[in-house]
Amino acid sequence: MEDIILQNISKDFGTFRAVDEVNLTIKSGELFSFLGPSGCGKTTLLRMIAGFETPSEGSIYLGNKDISDLPPYKREVNTIFQNYSLFPHMTLFDNVAFGLKVKKRPKTEIKDRVQEMLKLVKMEDQAAKYPDQISGGQKQRIAIARALINKPRVLLLDEPLAALDLKLRQHMLIELMDIHDAVGITFIYVTHDQGEAMSISDRLAVMNQGKVVQEGPPDDIYERPSSIFSAYFIGETNLITGDVHKVYDDYLELHCPDGTGNILALDSSFHKPVAEQSRITLSLRPEKIAISRHKPRHQDDINIIKGQIEDILYLGSHTQYIVRVGNLKFRVFSQHKRVYFDDKALDWEEDVWLFWHDTDTWLIEDNPFEVLADAELDDSGNLKRYVKRSKI
Amino acid sequence: MPQSREALQEKRKNLSSWLLSLPTMIWLVCFFLVPYLIVVFYSFLTPDIYDVKFEVSLDAYRQIFTSGYLQPFFLSFKLAIYTVLICLLLGFPVAYYMARASEKLKNTLLILIIIPFWTNLIIRIFSWRIFLSYSGVLNEALMGLGLISQPLEIMRTNLAVILVMVYVYLPYMILPLYSVLEKLDFTLLNAAMDLGANEVKAFFRVTLPLAVEGIFAGTLLVFIPALGAYLIPQLVGNQRSLYVGQVITYKVKNIPRNWPMASALSLTLLLMVAILLLIMYAIYRRHLARRHY
Repeated sequence: MEDIILQNISKDFGTFRAVDEVNLTIKSGELFSFLGPSGCGKTTLLRMIAGFETPSEGSIYLGNKDISDLPPYKREVNTIFQNYSLFPHMTLFDNVAFGLKVKKRPKTEIKDRVQEMLKLVKMEDQAAKYPDQISGGQKQRIAIARALINKPRVLLLDEPLAALDLKLRQHMLIELMDIHDAVGITFIYVTHDQGEAMSISDRLAVMNQGKVVQEGPPDDIYERPSSIFSAYFIGETNLITGDVHKVYDDYLELHCPDGTGNILALDSSFHKPVAEQSRITLSLRPEKIAISRHKPRHQDDINIIKGQIEDILYLGSHTQYIVRVGNLKFRVFSQHKRVYFDDKALDWEEDVWLFWHDTDTWLIEDNPFEVLADAELDDSGNLKRYVKRSKI
Repeated sequence: MPQSREALQEKRKNLSSWLLSLPTMIWLVCFFLVPYLIVVFYSFLTPDIYDVKFEVSLDAYRQIFTSGYLQPFFLSFKLAIYTVLICLLLGFPVAYYMARASEKLKNTLLILIIIPFWTNLIIRIFSWRIFLSYSGVLNEALMGLGLISQPLEIMRTNLAVILVMVYVYLPYMILPLYSVLEKLDFTLLNAAMDLGANEVKAFFRVTLPLAVEGIFAGTLLVFIPALGAYLIPQLVGNQRSLYVGQVITYKVKNIPRNWPMASALSLTLLLMVAILLLIMYAIYRRHLARRHY
């Protein structure tokens, strides 16, 4: 069953198009995220669902009812605001009771329901306090209770964890998932944090410049990015671009633009056939690359490339190596597992082999608004063009 | 000994703050407390044609509560209450609009509100006289438009007094309201509407309670001067309905003078304001206590 259908939604602010022809269907009970850099239109989209903005074009359906022109107070949708927006002049009890009080429900019902909600968010013993007497995480919980007491069909969450510190954020993320399981309604979650979106969502929509770039379950988007933008926005990746030299039965040769004239032999088991002489872009996630000072014997010279370690970033759970291959840079994540007892740590300037599994490269399809030739990388391998345009 | 050092520091701090407030204290004692004590002293004396006889008497106070002196008090209170209410009703939307305006517009509007203060009050009141008078701008315009056939008699009525009072005191209401509304987090209104409150309910349950401090401050700033208003009733009002401020002035100005009566009236007014302030302060304190600030 569908809960929210966004049909051809656009929103213009003057000449600026904040949301551009978005079509999305969010299923009932789903935890769906809008993920994108700031200014990508995700919050505007959420505000249109809540009723604080009206779409310039298109319609929003809740179930099978067109709610595009309803004021916020007539929609069966409630919102958790970014800074919680708790009423400072009311106790936590009154904050949670607000929705029922406005609807003039009987006092006993209000009391019972508020208690029930406070219990759900584990705040039942703090009801008499005021919002400025509790911590950020507790405010968050009250905001959830206040929104859920109205029994909305859909709960909208606008960057709900942005104001919390890292540990608390992880904790609240799990709590949010528990609450989602407990109440069973649709959650729409807006965030710019790909980690949050990936861990919490059933499905997510990656947005950029007002458009939905890609939509799907987190693993799908991570493993099979449809565009350079999604490949870079979710996680980190290495892009290999080159002209296909020759296609054989099970592998192809790629002229690598690394300045050395190298020809890279790659497994060609892509999800789409590639033609000779065409230019292709492959995404190769840093954690999928193995790094070694010894050339592996079983690799048949396919999916292997030689480089030199330029930088080593120790990150605790793993180390990031930056390996220079000609004028290309590869990022490689390596966990601190030792296979042999006499393994010596890799060092700066050391020559290493990078190799990967045949299904680890992903062919990025052409995308109407991402011409590869424009995508410049800066020194550390970040995508410069997007850094400039949308402040990732 | 750390404790004695702390004590010494505390002592020094007290001394310096005492020294710093000394000039103000002297000023207040000389020009505020002493004159008031003289007023208190005079209110218990006996009037003479030009001056006072130094014979103790309670006549002044007795007269306030027995003869027609309660009428001016009643009128003054009525005027002050009307002025406050009208200023509040007119000022709130203005302050609200200003608070939500863009930064640039905000500053422009603020300056527009402050500009009238650059012109002397008496000049502004006289402009109103010209505007409201029998053959003044307002009447000429209305007759010219054919809306009325005979000039309206607004000048020298209580209506004129209220009009000009509201005109003069409106900024004192707008500015404190603006300062609280400017700090108001307008996403709270979104939250209220999201939770099912329509615009009216959101206003009464969120905006208004959060603007209470501004309403208190604005009310005080308008009510107290309005209660003792002299200049405006004198210049645009009539002599049939006198306000307390006028009565006090006449007692000092007109021969035979009655210093004790003027003093007693002043003190009674002061006492009423003080009691009112205390009540408002108590309400305000309770409001704050409820919010645990």
